[in-house]
Amino acid sequence: MMMKIAAAVMAVPVAAVATIGATGVVVVDVREGGPQGHHIVVPMPLLAARAAAAFVPEDKARLHLDSEAARHLPLAREVVEALAQAADCELVRVEQDGEQVVIRKQGQMLAVHVRNKDEEVRVNVPLEMVLQVLPGPDGRLSPSAAVAALGSARFTDLVEVKSADGDRVKITVW
Amino acid sequence: MARARIWAGMVALGMTAGLAGAQPPTGWLHVRVEESGAKAAKVSVNLPLSVVEVALKAAPETLESKGRIKLGSDKHEMSLDDARRIWAELRKAGDVDFVTVDQGDEHVSVARKGDLVLVHVNKAGQKAEEVVVEVPVDLVDAMLSGTGEQINLQAMLTQLQKRRGDIVRVKGDDANVRIWIDEQN
Repeated sequence: MMMKIAAAVMAVPVAAVATIGATGVVVVDVREGGPQGHHIVVPMPLLAARAAAAFVPEDKARLHLDSEAARHLPLAREVVEALAQAADCELVRVEQDGEQVVIRKQGQMLAVHVRNKDEEVRVNVPLEMVLQVLPGPDGRLSPSAAVAALGSARFTDLVEVKSADGDRVKITVW
Repeated sequence: MARARIWAGMVALGMTAGLAGAQPPTGWLHVRVEESGAKAAKVSVNLPLSVVEVALKAAPETLESKGRIKLGSDKHEMSLDDARRIWAELRKAGDVDFVTVDQGDEHVSVARKGDLVLVHVNKAGQKAEEVVVEVPVDLVDAMLSGTGEQINLQAMLTQLQKRRGDIVRVKGDDANVRIWIDEQN
């Protein structure tokens, strides 16, 4: 009898961990520079983030686009879709006065790397997420769909910011 | 019956592979801008022609609007009918200098040399600049091959896919620009 109760009690957290593991976790890792610097790690299950995004009020999820911008949205969508089909490549490189910006297409990701003498930023954006973030013709965004698209970026460092004084912020999707 | 289906499947697979193998390599459009000076910027853009194609198909108004070709800015337009008529005459002329303008320090020439229409702008003086634009004759043919108030974008893109080499070169006193197509990504 005790064994059955123990198994039932264990089943709940194991199932919860398995569900979270299967659906993904976003981990925000902040490390301050210096010997006394704080180190904060915040894990956030994607499932919870998606549920929270679903509660974003309708008026906050609507962009007021001018007609010119709205006209180009379908084009932006088609270009991103065509890009997803293209081979991996370096799309853009800008170098000026010790600053460098590189945008690469790597698999189904857009990798943005910005570097100057004070800071280094790496952003990996899933193309699927770009498509989800683009508003519809009515200017409406879908925050939960954008969060769900993070599922296509699992085991990826989404954002990494390093400053010259040793601060580091890293957002990873597991 | 099952064997026949397997054979049919294998033949279909072989034909598909053959067709895929016969596809020409993908072209890439490259843009390089190199500024000169102390804080000079270097910009490099590389795009697969498939993406350029999608962009042009989705937004043909970047090239023409209501039957008028845009030549640089909204103030410089030409009706498609006029463009077709002028091009038909010029095309017959063969290798020839279509236009030569000398005004002050500026020299502009538009000429046909073989398969290319060459636009050459040379500006002397303090802000010296040289612009070379190379447009394949086939590309102009394709662009103007439609009827009515629209350029033939599809035919133009088909020609662009075949093009390899420089399209635009600008040598200025403050920046150099080069736009070309090749098969390197």
